[in-house]
Formats: sequence, C-alpha cells, structure tokens
Amino acid sequence: MAAQPVIKVGNLKKMYGDFAALKGISFEVQGGQILGLLGPNGAGKSTAMKILTSFISATEGEVEIDGIDLFSDPIEIRRRIGYLPETTPLYTDMLVYDYLQYAGEMRGISKDECSKKIHDLARKIGFVEKIGMPISTLSKGYRQRIGLAQALLHNPKILILDEPTSGLDPNQIVEIRKLIKELGKDHTIILSTHILPEVRATCDRIVIVHHGEVVADGSIEELDGRVTDTHVMIVSVADKDGIETDAVTAELAALDGVIGARVSGFGNAPVPHHDFEVDAKADLRTALFDWARNGGHTLLELRRKGMDLESIFQRLTQEA
Amino acid sequence: MKQIWIIAKRETAATFDSPIAYIAATVFLIATGLMFFFGIDGSADFFESRQATLRPLFDSAPWVLAVILPAVTMRLVSEERKAGTLELLVTLPVSDLTIVLGKLLGSIGFLVVALGLTLVFPLLVIIVGDPDVGAIIGGYIGLLLIGITFLALGLMTSTLTENQIVAFILGLLLCVFFWTATDALIKLAFERPPTALLLLTFKNQFNAFAKGVVDMRNVIYFGSVTAVAVIASTYSLKSRNWK
Repeated sequence: MAAQPVIKVGNLKKMYGDFAALKGISFEVQGGQILGLLGPNGAGKSTAMKILTSFISATEGEVEIDGIDLFSDPIEIRRRIGYLPETTPLYTDMLVYDYLQYAGEMRGISKDECSKKIHDLARKIGFVEKIGMPISTLSKGYRQRIGLAQALLHNPKILILDEPTSGLDPNQIVEIRKLIKELGKDHTIILSTHILPEVRATCDRIVIVHHGEVVADGSIEELDGRVTDTHVMIVSVADKDGIETDAVTAELAALDGVIGARVSGFGNAPVPHHDFEVDAKADLRTALFDWARNGGHTLLELRRKGMDLESIFQRLTQEA
Repeated sequence: MKQIWIIAKRETAATFDSPIAYIAATVFLIATGLMFFFGIDGSADFFESRQATLRPLFDSAPWVLAVILPAVTMRLVSEERKAGTLELLVTLPVSDLTIVLGKLLGSIGFLVVALGLTLVFPLLVIIVGDPDVGAIIGGYIGLLLIGITFLALGLMTSTLTENQIVAFILGLLLCVFFWTATDALIKLAFERPPTALLLLTFKNQFNAFAKGVVDMRNVIYFGSVTAVAVIASTYSLKSRNWK
C-alpha cells in the first residue's frame, strides 16, 4: 500500500443546533499511517471520530474509507473499522470473556476463532489474569485494555481510537503507546489526544484541530519547524535584598537574541524568588547563565519550556 | 439474521441478571393469582363460583402486564445510552432495525417465562373442573400478543431517553392508556360511538382471544401496532444523527 489514501475526509461539517462542532475539516490518511488528531477538549476530535465510525451523521461533507462512501454504505465500512470510543463502552454486568465473545459474534466471527483471538489478544495486551472476571470489578486501566481488545477482535484494517490512554497510569500509558505503535505496522490508525508527547511517541502525522477547524497538518518534524521559531526560557532568580523585577525584565529583554521578557510568577520556597519568561530566537540557556553570573544573580532554575500543546496552539491560532 | 438472535440472547441474560425481572415476575404472579382466585374487584371466589373458567385471569393479566413490562423494557436502550455502550452497539456492522428486533426478542424471553409461571392456574382449573381448553389456549395466545405489543411500546420509550425511570413512566402511561383509556375516550367523544372504532381498542381486540377465538384479524392488529412501535424505535435510535 503505497500512496493510496485509505481515509479521505473532505470539508466535513457538523452542526449541533446552532453550534458548529466541525466547520469543514479535510484530511487524508495513507495506508499504514498512524495519524494523531490533536486538539484541546471540545475541539471537535471526538465529533470527527464519531462521524467516521458512523455513530452520528455529518451535516455536510464527504468521507471515503477504503474506497467506500461512508454515507451510502456505513455497514460495510463498520466491518473494516475497530473503534474505541472515549467512554470505553463495556457491559459491566458481563464477564470479560463473554463480552469479547459477544462483540466477536456480532461481527460474524465464529466461536472457536473468537476464543482463539481473545486469548491471543489477552496475551498481547495483557489481561490474561482478568479474562474470567466480571467487567464491573476491573480498574480503569484494564477496562481500557478490554475496550482495545474489542476494537481489535476482527483484525480491522482501520483502527479509530478516541483518547486511548486517558485514565491510565504512566506505566500503562507507555505500554499502550508501545502497543499502538506496533499495531501501526499493519493497521491504519487514527487516534485522538490532547497530550503532545503521546503524538510524539506514536504518530507519523498530526492533524491539529481547533474550534472545529484544521489549523495544522503535517509530520511531527514539519510542525516542530513551524512552532519552534520561538524558544521560551524560564528563568528563576532568588530575591536577594529586594531585586527590582522591572529592572531585571529590562535587562533580560536587552540580551542578544531575546524577543521579549516578562515576569511569570514568584515563590517563597526554598528562598523568595521571581520567575521570568523569556522569548528568544534560539536556545539561550548559555547566555542566560552568563547573564546571571555576571549580574550576581542567584539562579534557582533555568530551563527551556517544553513545547506543550498550549504553546503550539497559541502560535498556530495567532498565525491564523 | 443471526445478529438479532445474538442480541436477544444477551438481552435475556441481562434481564435475568437484574433484580427487576424477579420483582416483576413475582408481582405478576401475585397480582394475577389474587385476581384469579378473588376476581378483579375481589367480589368473586374461585372455589365458591364453581366455574371452571380463566376469565378473571384473562381480564386482569393485561392490566398487570401493562404495569410490569415497561419496567422490564426500560433499560433496553436507556441503559446503553447512559453507559455509552450504545456507541459500540450501533457502530457494529448491524442495522438499527436488527438492534431493535434483537432487543424486542430478548425481552419476549421474560414475557414467556412470566406467562409460563401462571400456567399453574389453568392446570388447577383443569384438575378441579372441565374448562374450555380452547379458550385457555386462545387466552394465552392473546396474552402473548398483547404482551409483545406492550414490550414494543416500552422499548420505544426506552429509545427516547437515557433515564430509565422516565422510560418506565412513559411506557407505563402508554400501555395503560392503550389498554384502558382508548375505550373511555371514544365513549366520551361520541354520543353513539361507532362500533368500528370501539372494535379497534386493545380491549376489544384482546377479548376475542379470551373467548377462545384466534382470529387472524386480531393477530394482525397486535402485529401492526408492534410493527409501528418497532419502526418508531428504529427511527428514534437513528435520530442520534440529528443531535
């Protein structure tokens, strides 16, 4: 599968009454790609996924999955999709095994084949010891795994995972990400998240959605290039004999390569101190250290602010 | 379709997994039992009347079914909507109609069990007297049909809301309305009610069965009402699209 897009979304719109949840988004996913739909809560990620899985309909637009028009043959498309909704849909009154058996049978998998597949997945995803337990007794982490197993039972060509790591502890997150990465070798995957490191760890491509619109679409490298034109440095200086924050801000702003500086906070532990945020054209940590040493400031902290989703959004929405 | 059966099996299991099924079955058995022995208003006495008939049972059972069946169906879709499992169910490769039919079929399982429990009454009548067995069979076919109709109405109200209590109350009102109020309303509306209209009420349609007459027209009548409720449920399930 070379350059043939498996999923094509064109000008997709969704209105909830007067509220436009999606204002016409378009993107394509190539076969074997892991696409990250990134955006804050309420950006329209889930809405887009619910449309792709034909849970809800679109107000306008086109979706083609595996060469089939979603709105004319949704049932055929559902056969090819494994879906893990954000809410982890589990029948808590059932046993893990019975639940998966039910989901498998509903997809037309024979009992024997299903049983084999369930044990396979239990080993792969890690819930062997829970297979005979009632779902109601499982922790959030295990529930998420069972939900994922449900989405994988029929070995679908396409996987749609809505916030697959939400509610998991850090160890589980690492495991699930590893699993998704592995699944990406022979599945086409769309996953949504609002956590940037998640995208970095798993995705080949990112589509950033904001207020129902696509604000960026590209590989991680491409997007990094766009957003890291500005480096943000956090400088924390001890408040010895009452330093003048205005003066310090001015000093920082005057440094070579600095675009702007501002006070970002203060604290009292372990000693009183002020925090400054410095926008720079490059990574200025060396220059800032020298500035502190020369000026006789006690530096408590000096770090480059990670490019979290928030800062990416600030940049991307300011550009728009 | 195979999936209807798979859904029905799960629904039957889930129904009997909840205490509501046992409470409903117990209420049904006690209420019909009381009315069987003492008449619908408590004036009769089965052993005194010396009549080998199940008429009191057939007169009262639809009443009780109209109350308990919405309690059994209230969870069918509401629960899935609330728990989010509806999102899984409707994104499986099955049509909305398949889902509705599977759920209806699953709830019929309960109805069959509940009606089966009351078979002690005809058995008693057969032991102590010489009843019209045809009327008994007819009456049970009628109860099954009117029960399925009530289940379909209850299922329909369950598709409307994620709140099971609301689904129950709406279902109860609908079933009781169709069982009792249609008759009264027609009589209120017309000074001399047209017979054709009166024949269209649940009560009149059901009475034919209780007399031991299994007429295709009555079967088609309840079948049609059930079909309308099933179609309405399917559209209601589809309406997630517009929200």
